[in-house]
Amino acid sequence: MTALLAAEFRRMRSRHLVRIVAGLALLGIAIAGVIVAVRSSPEVGADPRFPLTMLPDVLKGTSIPLIIAGWLLGASFIGADWRVGTITTLLTWEPRRPRVIVAKVLACAVSVFALGMALQAVLGGVLSLDAMFRGTTEGIDASWLRETGGVAVRAATLATVASVVGFAVASIGRNTAAALGAGFAYLAVVENLVRGLRPAWQRWLFTDNAAVFITGGNVGLSFQRTMFQALVLLAAYAAALFAVSVVMFRTRDVN
Amino acid sequence: MAVIEVEGLRKEYRSRRGRTLAVDGLDLVVPEGGVFAFLGPNGAGKTTTIRCLLGLVRPTAGRCRLLGAETPQNLATVIRRVGSIVETPTFFPRFSGRLNLELLARLDGIGRKAVSDVLERVGLADRADDLVKTYSLGMRQRLGIGAALLKDPDVLILDEPANGLDPAGIKEVRELLRRLGDQGRTIFVSSHILTEVQHTADRVAILSRGKCVASGPVGEVLAAGRSAGLIVRVDDMAGGLEALRSAGIAASADDHAIRVMLPPEEAATVTRTLADRGLYLTELRPDEVDLETVFLDLTRETPKEASP
Repeated sequence: MTALLAAEFRRMRSRHLVRIVAGLALLGIAIAGVIVAVRSSPEVGADPRFPLTMLPDVLKGTSIPLIIAGWLLGASFIGADWRVGTITTLLTWEPRRPRVIVAKVLACAVSVFALGMALQAVLGGVLSLDAMFRGTTEGIDASWLRETGGVAVRAATLATVASVVGFAVASIGRNTAAALGAGFAYLAVVENLVRGLRPAWQRWLFTDNAAVFITGGNVGLSFQRTMFQALVLLAAYAAALFAVSVVMFRTRDVN
Repeated sequence: MAVIEVEGLRKEYRSRRGRTLAVDGLDLVVPEGGVFAFLGPNGAGKTTTIRCLLGLVRPTAGRCRLLGAETPQNLATVIRRVGSIVETPTFFPRFSGRLNLELLARLDGIGRKAVSDVLERVGLADRADDLVKTYSLGMRQRLGIGAALLKDPDVLILDEPANGLDPAGIKEVRELLRRLGDQGRTIFVSSHILTEVQHTADRVAILSRGKCVASGPVGEVLAAGRSAGLIVRVDDMAGGLEALRSAGIAASADDHAIRVMLPPEEAATVTRTLADRGLYLTELRPDEVDLETVFLDLTRETPKEASP
């Protein structure tokens, strides 16, 4: 299992798409850093001065592209295997299918979490420089640090959950496009239909629970739920989908 | 000891369009050592059989054993001793050939030196660090052979390994297989290049519509497919044919030669009969058949009767 995990981690690290996503994110962070620096004034009392205390809100905002990136990376990690056919080659080396799929999802989830944390750390670092030289660091204390760290960890966790869901759906559908299509259909159609026709079911929707988990509040929502409850529900969805993908992978023919 | 055993293997694919029977009660035994050729026309069930052996598809009925282990249940216990290619080998196109092999090698704790050695052995050392998407079909095939050899396996299961290779590449593969077979390894190879197989394989099985129609040492399969006969040429073909027939010897003729329905041991009867009529041979040889002829005879589709 260790060898399988090591190989999957190396594959994840070598993936073109991972590099593209990381590169685009770093480019976006650099551009954001420059824009913030230009728009922020170092003069005391000037408006606007970029306050570093805003960082948790910034991270809440960037959690959305992070979640989408997690979904995409998870879906394409297994989707590429099915599309190219390398799953056949791999199974002729390691025929224990549950091991194969568990190693893949672990490598994917851990990598997405690490990437999410690393990108948020870079973003935090760039905005900290902006705040130090062009804005203000007033109000920075231990509770701010805890809040910022908490948001970053929750955003990376949510990206990880999204990567597992994307992975599972792509594995069931045997390609990346199936996962992306299913994701779009769910978010654009199913969730809106549920909100319109069955408002009471809103408490079970992915995005609403994701919002609770990231923001820690229930503002604008018709139900009450704690962050932990939201996380448990989202993790249960991911686990259930992954379990279905394992059962299907275990029994299906690989042609 | 049998390295591969297949008993009553049946595989039926189901789809919305209906059912397709790919393998229909196949029985097969591949002994240890040497090159075993697995022949059959397209759609005969060769690749499905190989996929069943490697645990990639589940048989509808029957059983497969590889190195004594039931597949797919116990395949993991022997997979380290088995190298394989299934159809066109698949690799990550955006990774180099070397990285693709290193990812596989890591699964078995095989070091980078072994990867470099294998790349050298299959003639890809110069292009090892190029992306696989820039490889030709033949180069991908070589990389697939390299991956199969990486484990230094006791058994090689190769599905059409010469696909996409140029004549020099085909010759190299043939020599490689022969060499590996001579080392005592078991090479199970499906192929449609029958002339190559005839010169490489020790044993052969011919598959037609999911069933084994002939199996055994190449010589025996050829002998079984050979109808006793002699090919005779004389200057006066019509006179020769008439002389033979009048002596009670069954014979037929075309534009080039007379085919005599006698076993080669009775060639003297032919020469005497013709010489008695003043006809002298310009050629006399056994009517040998090659593997291709046997293969085509055994796998020829029976015309379906017209529906009322």
